[in-house]
Amino acid sequence: MGVRARKAAYGLLMLVFAFSIIASGCSKKENAEGSGSPSASPQANSSSPSESGSASAGPEPFEISIFMQDPGPIPTENNRIYKKIKDELGVTLKEEYLVGDAEQKLGVMIAGGDYPDLITANTKLVAAKAVIPLEDLIEKNAPNLKKHYEKVWNQMKDPNDGHIYWMPNYGVYQGEFKTTQHYGPAFFIQKAVLKEFGYPKFKTLDEYFKLIEDYKAKYPEIDGQPTIGFTTLAYDWRDWPLRNAPEHLSGHPNDGGVVVDPNTNVASLFEATDIAKPYYKKLNEINAKGLMDREAFAQNFDQYLAKIASGRVLGMFDQRWNFQQGEDSLISQGKPERAYVGIPLVYDPSIRDYYVDRPVLNLNNGFGITVNAKDPVKIIKFLDTLMDPKWQKLFSWGEEGVDYQVGANGLYSRTPEQRKQQEDVTWKQANKAEALFRFLPKLEGKYPDGNADGPGNQPDEFFANLKPIDQEVLGAYGYKLWTDFFSVPPENRISYPAWSIDLVEGSPAKVANQKMKDLAFKYLPKAILSKPGDFDKVWAEYGEQMGKVDTKAYLDRVNEILKWRQENWSK
Amino acid sequence: MQSTVQTKEVAPQPARRTGTFWNRMVRQRQLIFMSFPMLFYILLFAYAPIWGWLMAFQHFRPGFSILNQEWVGLDQFRFLFEDDAFLRVLRNTLGMSVISLVLGFVTAIGFAILLNEIKKSGIKRTIQTISYLPHFLSWVVVTGLVATSLSTEDGIVNIVLLKLHLIEEPILWLGEGKYFWGIVGASNVWKEVGWNAIIYLAAIASIDPSLYEAAEMDGASRYRKMLHITLPGIKPVIVILLILNIGWILNGGGFEIQYFLGNGQVSDWSETIDIFVLKYGLKIGNYSLGVAAGIFKTVVSIVLLFAANTIAKRLGEERLI
Repeated sequence: MGVRARKAAYGLLMLVFAFSIIASGCSKKENAEGSGSPSASPQANSSSPSESGSASAGPEPFEISIFMQDPGPIPTENNRIYKKIKDELGVTLKEEYLVGDAEQKLGVMIAGGDYPDLITANTKLVAAKAVIPLEDLIEKNAPNLKKHYEKVWNQMKDPNDGHIYWMPNYGVYQGEFKTTQHYGPAFFIQKAVLKEFGYPKFKTLDEYFKLIEDYKAKYPEIDGQPTIGFTTLAYDWRDWPLRNAPEHLSGHPNDGGVVVDPNTNVASLFEATDIAKPYYKKLNEINAKGLMDREAFAQNFDQYLAKIASGRVLGMFDQRWNFQQGEDSLISQGKPERAYVGIPLVYDPSIRDYYVDRPVLNLNNGFGITVNAKDPVKIIKFLDTLMDPKWQKLFSWGEEGVDYQVGANGLYSRTPEQRKQQEDVTWKQANKAEALFRFLPKLEGKYPDGNADGPGNQPDEFFANLKPIDQEVLGAYGYKLWTDFFSVPPENRISYPAWSIDLVEGSPAKVANQKMKDLAFKYLPKAILSKPGDFDKVWAEYGEQMGKVDTKAYLDRVNEILKWRQENWSK
Repeated sequence: MQSTVQTKEVAPQPARRTGTFWNRMVRQRQLIFMSFPMLFYILLFAYAPIWGWLMAFQHFRPGFSILNQEWVGLDQFRFLFEDDAFLRVLRNTLGMSVISLVLGFVTAIGFAILLNEIKKSGIKRTIQTISYLPHFLSWVVVTGLVATSLSTEDGIVNIVLLKLHLIEEPILWLGEGKYFWGIVGASNVWKEVGWNAIIYLAAIASIDPSLYEAAEMDGASRYRKMLHITLPGIKPVIVILLILNIGWILNGGGFEIQYFLGNGQVSDWSETIDIFVLKYGLKIGNYSLGVAAGIFKTVVSIVLLFAANTIAKRLGEERLI
């Protein structure tokens, strides 16, 4: 027995020994890996003492983990901006980007309580008490943010409990602001198509699809691949390319799943009603002509972007920011004529288009701080520092002397080479922090020194950056800016926009919303792809199924909040 | 094997009956120690979480403790069973499970028997290796391959059918519900047939060669031998695997493949219980619904398992319990 015990003890010892060897092997590897990337940082440290005086006075290292509900573009390991943040602020950003379905990822995250420090907004996280109220944090520690959000402070409060959970990433402007590009919804068409037919002016679906039809007949292939007339997307939360067009065609602004009567402030559904029917009937017609991308309804977001980046999609309904990555790729491939112009189509020329709206606060968007963050004060101070124009410019313009020059009049400009660089998707991954900046609170409009919030909005830069084809398009229509294609928007309704309403997790309204979406994803493709003779039958069935959904619960919730906003947001 | 164990057990019995159990425990302590980790694993991961079933009777909101929740009785189950969609997803789950099960068995057994007939071991091994390689691909990759080959634009399936003049214009395979089950079944077979055949090949290898020799003497043909020696020889293995798989029928009906290949157009045929739960539970923050569906599935699985076991017993076959 004694011998055996000793043997067992030896065995155990050997096991522990082996384990520790493996463990130390792993950690060594980790160290080796770690020393690879920040090899630049010792240099930075050694150079900084000469400037700041003492080595220990440098910022103390701090790590912030971030999850972004966006697939990227994912920055490279040695990204210039992240490196600068690390060197100057001592903050290392550990980012995770979305792969696949956002709602599902968050659902799993919540079930496990496994949150990063900073997270992009989703109402689910509020319901799960995963994020902390920010109002006190901002008031005490973040003067820049406080000043930035002052005007919209009340709007940022959650209607359910009056706390602020998210820092909206868009919609807070400084000074007079005129956008050069419309990033919202529109019917898009390739510049090449407009050029081919001598830049016609048009307002209706018929004219739009006629152009696409004629172009496709003339060029059945683009770069060796079959031309796609019109595509769409019905994937995950990106459902508007398929669902939202009718509200715009009928002259309503982007209220998401409802249209709101501006006089009574009451929302009603447009899906599966006569407001929507003519549009899908039209799509059914163009499908019969072979213009519709029949695989559109089975594709995911990546496939959609890839299709657009291939340059063979003539048109689609979408919001510009959504397919921007695909278009960026077209530009960097040197195919600017395959990029898109947004056109505000309407059912009837007598309807005034309402695609462009006045800036709205991007509620339920941007970053929030989770309950897992160990030091929220430090995080909010970090975000506050980034609100400084110096950092904002680094994100939007880049580094002075590297990415832009300051002219004699104090205005920034870029050289042609610098502009060219900015079109290169891979260069941007190493030198820009686009995805991060998209979600950060930001100064929009003009910086205090008179420069615009980015090269795209700096008039001189905007004009200089136009490609010959762009100048030709704008010149032919007699416009100066891309937004000139659209009507000047009226003042926003106070309760606008309805799409940012939180339907409350697990509530009947949310269930109804999911069912409406399921039905739309099922019946709209079916209606579009059916034989023209069967369209009415499928449409009737769609209406019937919609009748079974508890749409009242959904509308009640929407109207409740619209009313609440009307009362609380009025000044 | 069996007889030796029996003699060992029988021997100490006359001495002291009460002591035998403990004697045996002491004698087999190594075995018992070895089983501890697995036992612990099962207790921790299969039994301990069961108390979370409480969630099914609540309107669970994460962020609060499980005892500090709103109790709603059987509401979640009512929502589940009253929804029109539920019968449909149940049908889809069972349908695709059964298709995969049947196809999986038939093809794997057939493949194993045919492979066994190849006498050149080099060829045999090569074929076997190639056939089970797809098993190691994840479903994301496989469904990507499937979607590409079924594409209307440059998918090989449509191209071949067009070239053979079997169809006039490309078929939108993933856009029509009626094809979906077939696609799932075929993808399953492609991915798993080689892997599933391994266990049958092992079983075939253990059949006494003298049986074949005797049959040959009696003038049995190759097909006769397959039918009367190989198949009966692996019958116990088939039955055991069948019982095991039937227990999985509601879970094994799949999630990944339907999730990746499905889309709005085919949702009537592609949505399984798991996808339904994902949509109406996890995605809209109603975790309780997920638990309720989980309980339902567990109960049905246990019933099926026992049923299959009983049938096997009646038929005088090997059984699990």
